Amino acid sequence: MADPGVALDPTSAPLPGPSAVVDPREPRIFVASQWQLMWWRFRRHKVAVASALVVIGFYLVVLGADFLAYADPNASEAQRSLMPPQRVYWFDEGRFSPHVYGVKGARDPQSFKRVYVADPERKISLRFFAEGFEYRLFGLIPTTRHLIGAEGGPGSAPAVFLLGTDVQGRDLWSRLMYGTRISLTIGLFGVTVSLVLGVVLGGLSGFYGGVADTIIQRIIEILRSIPTIPLWMGLAAALPRDWSVLQVYFAITIIISLLGWTELARVVRGRFLAMREEDFVVSARLVGCSQMRTIFVHMVPSFMSHIIAATTLALPAMIISETALSFLGLGLRPPAISWGVLLQQAQNVQTVAISPWLMLPAVPVIVAVMAFNFLGDGLRDAADPYGR
Amino acid sequence: MLAYIGRRALLAVFTVWAISVLSFAIIQLPPGDYVTSYIAQMASMGSVVTDEEAQNLRIQYGLGQPIYVQYFKWMRLVVQGNFGMSMEWRRPVTEVIGERLWLTVVVSVAALLLTWVLALPIGIYSAVRQYSVGDYLATFVGFIGLAVPNFLLALVLLYLGFVFFNAHIGGLFSPEFQDAPWSGARAWDLIKHLPIPAVILGLAGTAQQIRIMRANLLDELRKPYVVTARSKGLPEARVILRYPVRVALNPFASTIGYTLPYIVSGSIIVSLVLGLPTVGPLLLKALIAQDMFLAGTIVLLLGVMTVIGTLVSDILLVWVDPRIRLEET
Amino acid sequence: MTGLGQSPRTRQRRSRIVMALLVGLLVALGAAGAIAQVGKSSLIGKLEGPEVVTDAGKWPKSFKEAPQLAELVKAGKLPPVAERIGQDPLVIKPLKEIGKYGGTWRAGFTGPADFWNGFRCCSGPDHLMFWDYTGDKVLPNLAKGLEMQDGGRAWLLHLRRGMKWSDGKPFTADDFVFWFEDIYRNKDLVPTPSAAMAINGKQGTVEKVDASTVRFKFAEPYFMFPDVLAGSTDLAGQMWGYRALGGFAPAHYLKQFHPKYVSAADLDKKVKDAKFDSWVRLFLNRNDWAVNPDLPVLSAWKTVSPINTPTWTLERNPYSVFVDTAGNQLPYIDRVVLTLAENLEVLNLRAIAGEYDYASRHVDLGKLPVFLENQQKGNYKVYLDPGDYCDLIIKFNLNYDADPEIGKWFNTADFRRALSLGIDRDQINETFWLGTGTPGSVVPADNNKYNPGPQYRKLWSTLDVKKANEMLDKIGLAKKDGDGYRLRADGKGRLRIEIMTLGGQFVQYTQIAEMIRDQWKKIGIDLKVQEVERSLALQRTANNEQQLGAWNNDGSEHLFTFPLHVFPFELASVATSGPLYVKWFHSAGAQGKEPEPRMKELMEKWKKAFGVPEKERIQLGKDVWRIAAEEVYIIGVVGMGPASMGVRVVKNNMGNIPSRQYNSPDGKTPGISRPATFFYKN
Repeated sequence: MADPGVALDPTSAPLPGPSAVVDPREPRIFVASQWQLMWWRFRRHKVAVASALVVIGFYLVVLGADFLAYADPNASEAQRSLMPPQRVYWFDEGRFSPHVYGVKGARDPQSFKRVYVADPERKISLRFFAEGFEYRLFGLIPTTRHLIGAEGGPGSAPAVFLLGTDVQGRDLWSRLMYGTRISLTIGLFGVTVSLVLGVVLGGLSGFYGGVADTIIQRIIEILRSIPTIPLWMGLAAALPRDWSVLQVYFAITIIISLLGWTELARVVRGRFLAMREEDFVVSARLVGCSQMRTIFVHMVPSFMSHIIAATTLALPAMIISETALSFLGLGLRPPAISWGVLLQQAQNVQTVAISPWLMLPAVPVIVAVMAFNFLGDGLRDAADPYGR
Repeated sequence: MLAYIGRRALLAVFTVWAISVLSFAIIQLPPGDYVTSYIAQMASMGSVVTDEEAQNLRIQYGLGQPIYVQYFKWMRLVVQGNFGMSMEWRRPVTEVIGERLWLTVVVSVAALLLTWVLALPIGIYSAVRQYSVGDYLATFVGFIGLAVPNFLLALVLLYLGFVFFNAHIGGLFSPEFQDAPWSGARAWDLIKHLPIPAVILGLAGTAQQIRIMRANLLDELRKPYVVTARSKGLPEARVILRYPVRVALNPFASTIGYTLPYIVSGSIIVSLVLGLPTVGPLLLKALIAQDMFLAGTIVLLLGVMTVIGTLVSDILLVWVDPRIRLEET
Repeated sequence: MTGLGQSPRTRQRRSRIVMALLVGLLVALGAAGAIAQVGKSSLIGKLEGPEVVTDAGKWPKSFKEAPQLAELVKAGKLPPVAERIGQDPLVIKPLKEIGKYGGTWRAGFTGPADFWNGFRCCSGPDHLMFWDYTGDKVLPNLAKGLEMQDGGRAWLLHLRRGMKWSDGKPFTADDFVFWFEDIYRNKDLVPTPSAAMAINGKQGTVEKVDASTVRFKFAEPYFMFPDVLAGSTDLAGQMWGYRALGGFAPAHYLKQFHPKYVSAADLDKKVKDAKFDSWVRLFLNRNDWAVNPDLPVLSAWKTVSPINTPTWTLERNPYSVFVDTAGNQLPYIDRVVLTLAENLEVLNLRAIAGEYDYASRHVDLGKLPVFLENQQKGNYKVYLDPGDYCDLIIKFNLNYDADPEIGKWFNTADFRRALSLGIDRDQINETFWLGTGTPGSVVPADNNKYNPGPQYRKLWSTLDVKKANEMLDKIGLAKKDGDGYRLRADGKGRLRIEIMTLGGQFVQYTQIAEMIRDQWKKIGIDLKVQEVERSLALQRTANNEQQLGAWNNDGSEHLFTFPLHVFPFELASVATSGPLYVKWFHSAGAQGKEPEPRMKELMEKWKKAFGVPEKERIQLGKDVWRIAAEEVYIIGVVGMGPASMGVRVVKNNMGNIPSRQYNSPDGKTPGISRPATFFYKN
């Protein structure tokens, strides 16, 4: 996509492309940059735009997880075990005063289920920007303010459970907030590693061809032939034991991305191969550009959009891989909190039969994966110069 | 062309050998060996393995020897057609895998069929009616299989099947038909057990196929001959289905080769959750137990399938699209 | 919200609210009271079981058999039942009534490693001696009697005359001699001899006295021998055939696979045909009760479709020596069919759906509410069989030396005691045991003969945060950092200790460790939870890399046959108290590290007990537990719970089912309830 492939003759028939949005006779289109053209086309894809908003929303949660959570995600209490989500009442005698009722629970000796009864006398008001457990905003500023909370002041025992609690009595909403943070950031790091590896190796393979190409292609083939699970198991088990949860989690993302780069490499290689013979590349070389300059200044930008699209599509694969790894016990493990860990703790018959709210973490997984997919598709369609 | 196939075949043999070494190494990567895994497994079930027994087992299984010795022992057996003994199953590896292979193929093929049945129409519709509401809805359906964590979905479906239909839980046969000789009733029993795995696995693969179908078809629809056909007055359906779709299916068909390893292994996680007696869970358990020969053989098998599949795909591609041939030179 | 200006509707609503509150309060009180009584809940019955009739005078004189066997006798394919049983039947008085023949017992198993499943349900059990239903007394089982001679140095085993293997050949003393001479003493089959055949390190011998009498001879008095025969030790019968142990083996069948009796060329051919790589592997495979349908057995059922196929099927043994008091040859049930369920959720769901007739193995206590919910739909009843041991323990690795300061604290008794006092056991019991366990120390149940006394249950095993903090302050850990965690005495920052847990178990060790981490915050201890894969766990314990380890100590109520989780006894363990002590113990001081005095005392008392008469042994056992409870080498958290194979699901149409049975590996539960006497009422 060197110049916008539009004829300079304004009297010719309308061509496919941004012409549908902008009249081809407008001078704008001739001087519009590649990115602007992409943006105009992207805007048409309504669902992609909506997905972009959703994704932004998710990353806001990532930034503000502590703020959005209102209970310490590790605070356990047996008497709160397996509480169903609490119903929030928005109005109290006509006034806007969100509140929940306090709950008393006990184990039914006949059914062995934990039974909770709302106590109508104990009204617990919800406050916005209430005080709760202490944390550091952006990792720097110590504060106790959370988005919502019950009356009670800083450091008090949690009293609200919007999404219920798990077996240990820990609030699910708060755990979900922290889980979102970890699950979505794993994706980013892993995708970055995949990106770098894919572009570099795919580029080498496509640009130089020959021996380098054959070797890299064989490596890709071998890596793709080995079923991923044994590879994961082997690599995960080889991690040093005294690493902290954080270090293990980085290692896991790198492991996943070590397998994910092959797809990107093939795309990049294909593009390089096709582009090697293009006029603009040949002319760049003839003019005297160094190889590095040719590659990075001229060739790479022209398929940058494809890269972006492929990267965006790699993210949901990361998310799914993380949940699969947790299911197998290879990924993040408790006491870490991630979507995969939360789902793994819900993966049993008693949850499905008796405490189904514990399966709610599947919802953000589904939404995130769908959103990233639509976004990625939209980006790719927008980046494609021959699309309508 | 023949030279190309010959060269690729030679490379394939090399690749397979590399895979065998790698897979053996990877299986050994986790710490411990079959005996330590066995001891822990016994401990979880409430039994005790004495140190003497552990020692005896190690001697008898030859686990004390260095890895490359064990690898060469295995390779020597492999070239004779004997893939060794599974320590966990105490049976020859070929028997253990062979028992499950055909069932795995049945499930995988059912899932693939479902994928194609769903993905092709959706892909076509999505390309033809791009950006319409129908497009979004159809793609949504296609992507939902990818987005839902399928291990959780499998468990939920199992439970719902029990609660509402009193369905037999998991597996591929009801207990009374498990060992029975083949009959119409047994075949019907198998078919009754297929929907849940086929749906879960089938939906998971639709997203990818929809994308490919849509992309290919969009490429075709822009070509001049489509405009020509339309201007000649052919009805729209014929215009699309007769020519572009068939051409769009070509590169698509070559991806069939890539499904070969999948057909043989099936899905590991969903099969485990549903308790299907397929090769996937067998591999997983073998890996956890570090049952070297069994795990190594399955991984080797999958590797070989992948290599064959890639080869088949590439040959098909070359056969169909002459431009690619040029790339290889 | 108070005030006079309220509408009548509000007043009415308020009074309804008050009513609801009162009701709620009553319900809560009632529930609280009921929880306190959960031990007596309808799910836990009274310990009962069938009895073995040892008085020969009361044995039935004529016998009956299953109809299909009678058919075979008529067709001339089987000898008559009296001839098959012999002159000395093993008579069992069924728990409730004489049963009916017929039926197929459906159950599930998880794969070829699950052979204990079959040993427990279907072997008879085929021990030479076995426990009564309380798990306390040792009674004759396959052997007619056991006689002590020479002050305990010799034990005379009387066999049942006319008893036969499942293929009709006689079971005689020759089978014992064959096992001892040709199997046990063969260095290829048994490279390392078993501790069960030794007293004070000296191996014993087996000799034939006559066709139905065998003598086990030892260099020193071996008073524990009857218990060793009755427990799940290396002399526990054919279940250990695959390890070349067990005490006896079918000589007439196995000789064809032994190099002493068959030419090398013949044996080689057999090995190659069976695709093995050595005669040892072939032999062990052929002697495997769960794998070889041709192996002659003495158990009530025998394998017809082996364990390494998708369905493990067992059928009645026509030569079974078990009979009921009316002379009916047992078992009543014709076949046992175990179907493969590689995933535990699937297995449990099948049990919930009522697809299994009797299931207790692999049943998850956490799913108890779901089981109860489906009792009617599945037409079964749920029973709880609590064990007599601790369901959850935490071991200190006393040999940990990678970090000397931590090693020092682990070896300080007050440190261990303080940590034990910092655990809120009620929380853990309620969350993970659904309230069915008993919080307490490591000592076994109160009615166990080695229990040192009721006061030891709570010793160092209550929640006392204040005392714990005081104790930790006093031993030199008084300084704390900004977050409230104690600082190390050597000035290197915060004191951090690590607990290793295994994932994927029924007892949720990792989640429990998370709870404990939360609880130990209050006593200033920073606990890191490290979940590992099982092989890794074993490697770490063997390499002395584990600090704290969580596991259970099931079986330890039979202190002398299952000491694994009482003191460091095995290197191959998922959680260890001291691998160097293990080496010291087994090498009689030559290797490893000498334990500190009290641990040494504990080990010595344990060893001594094997060679002294029962009364002295009981006292030694009590001393062992007393030291364990006082020193807190191992923290006991929750015990006497039904988490380990204690949740039992039985179809309503099965008869002779006990309302509560002794739950222990030694008892091969449900073997101790004699499943041969279970039957289908319709």
